[in-house]
Amino acid sequence: MTVNGGSRIILDHVSRWYGNVVAVNDISFEVAPGITGLLGPNGAGKSTLLHMIAGLLQPSAGVVEVDGAPTWRRPQVYRQVGLVPERESVYPYLTGREFVALNASLHGLPLREAAISRALERVELAPAADRRVGTYSKGMRQRIKLAGALVHDPPVLVLDEPFNGMDPRQRLQMFELLRTMANEGRTVLLSSHILEEVERLADSVLVVYAGRLAAAGDFRSIRRLMTDRPHVFSVRSSDDRRLGALLLAEDPVFGVELDASGLRVRTSDFGAFTRLLPMVLQSSGIRLLELRPTDDSLESVFAYLVGR
Amino acid sequence: MIERLPLVALTLRGLLDRKRTWLMLALAAVPVLLVGLAAGAGHRVVEAHNFNLLIVTTVLPLIALVFGTAALGSELEEGTVVYLLTKPVRRSRIVVAKVSVAAGLTAALIFASSLATGLAASLSGNDLVRAGTAFGVASALGGVAYVALFLALSAFTTRALAIGLAYVMLWEGVLGGLLEGTRMLSVRQATLALGREWAGLGPSREGLSYEQGLVILALFIVVAVSLATWRLSRYQLRGGD
Repeated sequence: MTVNGGSRIILDHVSRWYGNVVAVNDISFEVAPGITGLLGPNGAGKSTLLHMIAGLLQPSAGVVEVDGAPTWRRPQVYRQVGLVPERESVYPYLTGREFVALNASLHGLPLREAAISRALERVELAPAADRRVGTYSKGMRQRIKLAGALVHDPPVLVLDEPFNGMDPRQRLQMFELLRTMANEGRTVLLSSHILEEVERLADSVLVVYAGRLAAAGDFRSIRRLMTDRPHVFSVRSSDDRRLGALLLAEDPVFGVELDASGLRVRTSDFGAFTRLLPMVLQSSGIRLLELRPTDDSLESVFAYLVGR
Repeated sequence: MIERLPLVALTLRGLLDRKRTWLMLALAAVPVLLVGLAAGAGHRVVEAHNFNLLIVTTVLPLIALVFGTAALGSELEEGTVVYLLTKPVRRSRIVVAKVSVAAGLTAALIFASSLATGLAASLSGNDLVRAGTAFGVASALGGVAYVALFLALSAFTTRALAIGLAYVMLWEGVLGGLLEGTRMLSVRQATLALGREWAGLGPSREGLSYEQGLVILALFIVVAVSLATWRLSRYQLRGGD
């Protein structure tokens, strides 16, 4: 199956604030067909961005468009867009089939039965379609939400944390399904706070942190930026003072601090440092007791990208 | 049904698939049981004008409050409204469907309750079937206005139940008895005016006329549905990050 169009999502200098709190700060980007990952820690502004793209939130400034038309207060945009919201709530008293039928009916689809069956089969929920959604597992609820979002065959799919609650097997199925949809020419935008999910799936990535766009582009170049940033390691050894002096004499190390807990070593090159340290240890006969990266959380990676 | 009338079927399932249905049935049965027990014991305790207290003032606003605030309010609270709002559907269609279902349920229950109360009263030889029917039809119309009002409230605030109860108890109950002007904005007074007219009791001295009652109920319905539609078309999804 192929999808007409090659739809594009465009954000032009978009901001959103709540009183004095700025949730999204002057963000511009364009999303083309294929899979784009919207990556950022919790609270970064991912859902706010997706809600604006889905026409469910008015931008305080700037323009959000799908295929050249603004999304806010324009219900017709939903002929092009399918949304899988983050919240788990799905009508618990409807069966899976009824939920998809509800979506199909509200879209006014002709040949509804065929569309409903196709959507249920795509998410592999046909065998459980006549069970109430209230009895579904988290993963099944995610998949029935996806079935509801794609029943009208939209060229644009927006998914907010679609892998939440899924077990590894369900994740793989979902990866496969999203890849298939991207190969059909759809524009798939999904948010996640988990780097590995986006890495495995997305062709391009948008990194948001504290409401700002920290980086955008293909995943490999962003991954390189993340790896090449300055790193701080906590080191304990049999002779911290001597090891500190030896390391400071080498190129990739630009700072060493010694305190009661050991050494804090600052390096500008992650790879070079990991090669250098064993050589220094071997030549000096110093024994390594502990080596720990102190700022390897995703949060610090995002903070670095924003501050670049 | 969900494929032909999706919004109606969805609202109906949402309202009926819960304990509240049984609670509402029990509430509607209270006046019937009270009057039936008294009549069975041979007491002629009920006259036509008592339908004011038995039905219009008590059971009607409570049933309308529960169905009216739940029809849209529960979807807004639980977040399922997203599935309706992300469709190429006019917001007025969503509101009208929800008001129709909640009002239909309220009207059916309150009419049955009023008519059964009239029949129960007749056991003691006091024929109140006409009064029961008259107040039943008036309450059904009043129920539509109440539901529209409470549904509109739920579109604006998560405290619709408390504010609706305050409207019924304080505005219509306390202030309605003290300040004549407040009756012009009272669904209860408008419903009573219709009920008294159709039961052949004529307008009460302090109450609204039949014509005023009709106009006020119509205004409540139109204004409330318009406000709820306006609100829903500007609804913004907050939360998340």
